[in-house]
Amino acid sequence: MRRFFTPRFIAGAGMLMLAAMFYIGSSATAAADDTKPAEKKAEAKTGDSQPQKPKKLTGAELYAINCNRCHPERYPTEFNSTQWKSLLTHMRVRANIPASQARTILKYLQEESGS
Amino acid sequence: MKNFKMNMRKPIVGVLAASCALGVALPRRAAAVISDDQFNQLKDLVTQQGENMQKQDQRIEQLEKLHEQDQQTHGQDLKKIQDLEQQLGQTQMVATNAAQKAEAAAQVQPVATSSGPPASHNFMMVGDAEVQFGKVDGSHSAFALADFAPIFLFRASDNVLFEAGFDVTLQNEGVPLESGKTGNGDATTSVGVSFAQLDYLWNDYVTVVGGYMLLPLGTYTERGAGWLNKIPDDPMPRGVLSDAGAGMQLRGAVPLGHSGSQLTYSVFGVNGPNSVDGTGHATTLDADGNTIPNLDLNGNIGFNSDGSTGNLHGAPSGGGRLGVFYPWKPHYDLELGVSGQTGTWDNAGKRSWSAAILDAAVHISPYFETKGEYINTWQETDDAGTLHPRGWWVQSGYKLAGLNLDSSLINNLELVGRYDTVNDGLGTKTDRGTAGYVYYFSNTLLFEGDYEFLHGGGQHNTLVFQLSYGF
Repeated sequence: MRRFFTPRFIAGAGMLMLAAMFYIGSSATAAADDTKPAEKKAEAKTGDSQPQKPKKLTGAELYAINCNRCHPERYPTEFNSTQWKSLLTHMRVRANIPASQARTILKYLQEESGS
Repeated sequence: MKNFKMNMRKPIVGVLAASCALGVALPRRAAAVISDDQFNQLKDLVTQQGENMQKQDQRIEQLEKLHEQDQQTHGQDLKKIQDLEQQLGQTQMVATNAAQKAEAAAQVQPVATSSGPPASHNFMMVGDAEVQFGKVDGSHSAFALADFAPIFLFRASDNVLFEAGFDVTLQNEGVPLESGKTGNGDATTSVGVSFAQLDYLWNDYVTVVGGYMLLPLGTYTERGAGWLNKIPDDPMPRGVLSDAGAGMQLRGAVPLGHSGSQLTYSVFGVNGPNSVDGTGHATTLDADGNTIPNLDLNGNIGFNSDGSTGNLHGAPSGGGRLGVFYPWKPHYDLELGVSGQTGTWDNAGKRSWSAAILDAAVHISPYFETKGEYINTWQETDDAGTLHPRGWWVQSGYKLAGLNLDSSLINNLELVGRYDTVNDGLGTKTDRGTAGYVYYFSNTLLFEGDYEFLHGGGQHNTLVFQLSYGF
């Protein structure tokens, strides 16, 4: 029986993954580059030489991005501050959430938990 | 001189005469006349003014009295402030003395350190439970406690978490009958450990995991099981993969830019699958003489049935997953992953078992999602060549709240469907189509129902209702 999932296919899938990673990485860079002409115009207008930093996502936005993928949203008031810390540690491992994003999400949940 | 006087006499007399004439001619100045009314008015006015002045005097007297009282109160407040200042001074003195005494005492006797746990410890239980009502074609319908799966989380510090998950299930005890068949006896409780692992957050990019771990083969086992699955049954092709293994793992994630994109990785080494009878044969016989597959995917945990310890085949199995997650905005995202595992499975260590999985998940708006896995495995055997158990599944869901209808019943409803197919590599292929729904009583209490159309593998169509609670 002909193998569909050959080593060549696996290699191709891996290359596709790598290509997707490079594309996403270059898109992030291009998004930053796209702001440069606007930045130059702003510089020309205001004479400000400080480039604008990309806007960081808030805890609420990161929560919406990461915490609705697998299960319905859990409300911040369902757990107290200490419990959220344990839960976010568990989810950071289980869902492989980047540490910086996990910290931002935790801060948001603790602030909104009311405890 | 005499002439001057004569000359002056005439003008003077003239003037005097004119004056007399004027005095007679001019009317006499009229005498002031006021009426009685006017007089009375004036009298009233004067009287009124007198009364007003009296009132002003009284008011002034009152104000003077109030001022006196205010002065007295002010004096009392000043006294109170003085007393408080005195007390504060005394309190400060006492505090200073106490501090000095404590310092002196500390110098004499060392203060014992606290022997209790630090405040960073926290224990909590999460998990899920499912209760089902099902009807398989050709069998009676029945209620069943499908699963009670608690997860214990113990956070020892900011970087250390111990977590363990269990599956508590009920089933009838098998009773051997004289006829040789097996009857159904009392309910028995079985408790299985689905995972028990120690997580150490080494740094922002590497987490070390050790124990009996859920394996990152695809994403279903880690993120789709239990109440997270919107359909009561697991996808059939998951049965050709290991769910967990005893070993070690490194995992982590790297953010890509500031958009929420991330690259995730997992690399692990485990004891790996094992042979039931130790050989590399594709099948073996159980005590009743039934043919069963010889490959055991979730055993080989290091403690063997004969009391010995050690990997059954002496060679660890390794694998990992690489994934990329790209959200273009919240609730709109794509995830792709490739994962695999390879190692030997027979006791001699001559026959390999390998797996390769592609997984994908898409969310388009808060209402629509679709996800799936493509699973292939290869099992080398002594007697049947290389077996190729494989399969794939795809599942979609649409929340009717996306229709923006003014009905809470509809807004809490999600339509779900799945197609899955599995080939066991021994010649049996089963296809299944599932259509169902999820009704959200709350964000954690789900009422699911579906009908499963099965084809092949000796399976029957099934109707299942499930109440699923995540806690």
